[in-house]
Amino acid sequence: MARHSPVTGRYVTIEVDGMEYKVFYLHNGKGQPLICQHTAGCHNHQWRGLLEDEEITKHYNVIAYDLPRHGKSDPPHNYEWWTEEYKLTKEHYVNFIVTLCDALELDDPIFMGSSFGGNVALQLALRRPDRFKAVIPVEAAHYAPGFFLDWWRHPHANAAQVCASGVWDLMAPQSPEMDRWLTWHYYTQGSEAFKGDLYFYSVDHDLREELRNIDGKKCPVVMMTGTYDYLTPPDATEDTARQIKYGVYIEMTDIGHFPMSENYPLFRVYLKEALRIIRERTGG
Amino acid sequence: MAQDIKSWANKFKSLSDSDPAIAAMGKYYTCTYMWDMTDKKVIIEMHDGKVKHINTDPAPLDPYDFALRASAASWREFGQPVPRPMFHGIWAASFREDLKIEGNHLIMMQNLRNFTLQFELLRKCGVPV
Repeated sequence: MARHSPVTGRYVTIEVDGMEYKVFYLHNGKGQPLICQHTAGCHNHQWRGLLEDEEITKHYNVIAYDLPRHGKSDPPHNYEWWTEEYKLTKEHYVNFIVTLCDALELDDPIFMGSSFGGNVALQLALRRPDRFKAVIPVEAAHYAPGFFLDWWRHPHANAAQVCASGVWDLMAPQSPEMDRWLTWHYYTQGSEAFKGDLYFYSVDHDLREELRNIDGKKCPVVMMTGTYDYLTPPDATEDTARQIKYGVYIEMTDIGHFPMSENYPLFRVYLKEALRIIRERTGG
Repeated sequence: MAQDIKSWANKFKSLSDSDPAIAAMGKYYTCTYMWDMTDKKVIIEMHDGKVKHINTDPAPLDPYDFALRASAASWREFGQPVPRPMFHGIWAASFREDLKIEGNHLIMMQNLRNFTLQFELLRKCGVPV
């Protein structure tokens, strides 16, 4: 008897700022849409635990997509993308997410992303609070300089291993070894996009002057960060949440920068609390 | 009390040379690096994934490709079985604590996978400071 997962994958073609993208996404569940963004230079398998979590998928329609240039989502098919250096901008990133949600006809989705996905969650709360029921920025901050590095694609080093081992100690030593190595494995697959993603993460994303314009009443913002995250340490996230009107901060003990991928059983404890807070604040 | 540096070196070599994850990709892991623990220094010479030599009393002009330098207190944190946050890796400690990476960074990046695994062996063998 085949042991099929309830998770299924599909492609959808969308156009964003003139770029045609054939986007791959995984989904499982029914009810409130919960759309999930992977971390920079990675892909949607980081959400494998959540996608198969029966308790959550009973009430939430979980969707985890691959951003273009990651996993099974190609770079644009109508543009000679190989002729210029990839640098993800906040405008394009936000436009992509909103266009994808429109194409999938998601009604009042909750957006959750980690790291550069967490930072774009803040951008969504600022720019499109009308389109999202709430956002869950994981391992995020209003400003995160220092990771837009040439090492990620240096031609004299093995970029796959530099990316994978370069993010290794973003994970907590307590996280299960298998899950840390799976996350390492995913990171060997995205080195060409990693640096361009980090242009958004460390350079273009800067909400130091705009954070006060996010209104957590219009679009609840529940931030969560692990104590072993050296890139966005807990005090950085806490500082961000404190400056957002009605912002919420949850500290996650003994976990790192890839919580959903490095230790899902622990992450889900905090995620359930975040979802409870959102239900409480939005009335369902 | 800090362990004798020669016993530490033997323990580290034994752990590294028998580590299956290092052996799995050991070929071409060849470089020489210094761990500067302030009170003590070692130069570790790697060849094809095996520890070729550990110099436990480096002279001023003994060569190496790159070095990690930090206070003895930080190295003691690196050597805990479960290090505290920000002492749990090279990147974490260089971003948030007093660890300095010096020398030819490119050689460290070329060997980053196995060098990272070796650094974490300190959780098993401790440090000599």
